[in-house]
Amino acid sequence: MDSRQEVNERVDVVATFGTGLDICIPRKIRRPNGREIDVTELGLRHPTVYGKRTIHVFEVTDGGSDYRLAFDAERLTWHLTHQMSRDA
Amino acid sequence: MREEYNSARPMVMHIDLNSCFATIEQQARVGLRGRPIGIVNRNTENTAIVTASYEAKARGVKIGMRLKEARKLCPDIIGIESDPPKYRYVYHKLMEIMSDYSAHFRMKSIDEGVIDFALSPEAIAGRDLVEIGYEIKQRLRDEIGCAMRCNIGIAPNRFLAKTAAGLHKPDGLDVITHENLREVLGTLELQDLTGIAARNEHRLNAVGIYTPLEMLDADVSTLRLAFKSVVGEWWHQRLRGWEVDDVDYELKSCGRQYVLESPHLSRRQIVQRLHHLVESVGAKLRSQGKVARGVSIYVRTYDRGGWKGHELAGLPFFSDQAIWTMAERIFMSAPARGIKMISVTCYHLSDGLGNQLSLFGDQLAREQHVTLAVDEINGRYGPRTIHSADTLGTGIYVKAKIPFGSTRYL
Repeated sequence: MDSRQEVNERVDVVATFGTGLDICIPRKIRRPNGREIDVTELGLRHPTVYGKRTIHVFEVTDGGSDYRLAFDAERLTWHLTHQMSRDA
Repeated sequence: MREEYNSARPMVMHIDLNSCFATIEQQARVGLRGRPIGIVNRNTENTAIVTASYEAKARGVKIGMRLKEARKLCPDIIGIESDPPKYRYVYHKLMEIMSDYSAHFRMKSIDEGVIDFALSPEAIAGRDLVEIGYEIKQRLRDEIGCAMRCNIGIAPNRFLAKTAAGLHKPDGLDVITHENLREVLGTLELQDLTGIAARNEHRLNAVGIYTPLEMLDADVSTLRLAFKSVVGEWWHQRLRGWEVDDVDYELKSCGRQYVLESPHLSRRQIVQRLHHLVESVGAKLRSQGKVARGVSIYVRTYDRGGWKGHELAGLPFFSDQAIWTMAERIFMSAPARGIKMISVTCYHLSDGLGNQLSLFGDQLAREQHVTLAVDEINGRYGPRTIHSADTLGTGIYVKAKIPFGSTRYL
């Protein structure tokens, strides 16, 4: 089955906000253990709603693993929710 | 009844996202690109594949196959649990793109839509539709992602446009006109035509029709004899490129089914899951502004048997409580053992949450207000913020899945 692992940790994120089709792109993630992840590609960004709250989900990769980030547009917080390794 | 082929300029475009959910997952998760994947609704080996990537299809994996069966053909297939919000997002993006070309577009399901250019502004309708088709393909890649692909078919009517969209998968673009109609139909089997499956094929065989070309050449009376209804006349027109499918169907029933996660659940646990389904069906019913008069329960058992029970009420209802009262009563007569799947359907639907309800007393009016208040809270704070205590804990099993067929709930 899928190699997806639930992580659910609050992370620091460096993101760029531009004027192109992908308005917001996460570039770098720092996990609570200090490990840094350099994002090499944004796969897809899609909004989800939980009641009236909008959470933007970013599926990104560092070239080795894929990651799922959630940005809470109301609380302005980033969470790393899942990590997917490629050796499934 | 028109005997000639429709020779008008083809103005209907059918757009079909290729292996939609699998492609979207491959777009989102870069590590899945180029690999065989199967989208499943539950993270188990016994679950059926809803969509397979082209890499999996190339190795014989088919939709509906169980993941463990697929693994025999393709040992490295990766089962990915479906993620409906992601697919809804792509559906809305596709809709946005289509709406740029015509106000007369319609989504046929979560992964396909039709644009009728006949009523578009001249600046758009006057353009080469093949060029617009390639432009839409490019926009999908630019606005959603580089892995997105779609098939496009252009023809004088919806049926032939869909047929054209299926000719060269993946990423094809084909046009059917009155000039190449016979040539195209000559390359197809009867079951390649949308709407012709085994049963209809048998009907056609019974009147001596074995190929789409023979079906095209058949006269109306032969087709009417095959289908034993006006459907034969519709096929006669449809195959000639005349429009018969531009119709909206009214919502006649509203339901949901659930395959139990284990064969070892107690009766009490099954009833809890049934109650969860009832709450989900109630929310769907009210989201369409409908009330119902009937509830039916269908149960499928492990020995491939089926059981059905239903009840019709004198007055229309729409609250979860009203549906549950009937559903619980009906389910008491259901088989005691070996239940594999349960489904709840509300039928005899009519419009409006009904001012007439309040005419029947304070109790119904109160129930109406409470139900609407609960819906409002769930709308504001998230689904199932308020639900019956009985269904506490069932949410991890009975998750919201992809609504196939209808786009009403997207």
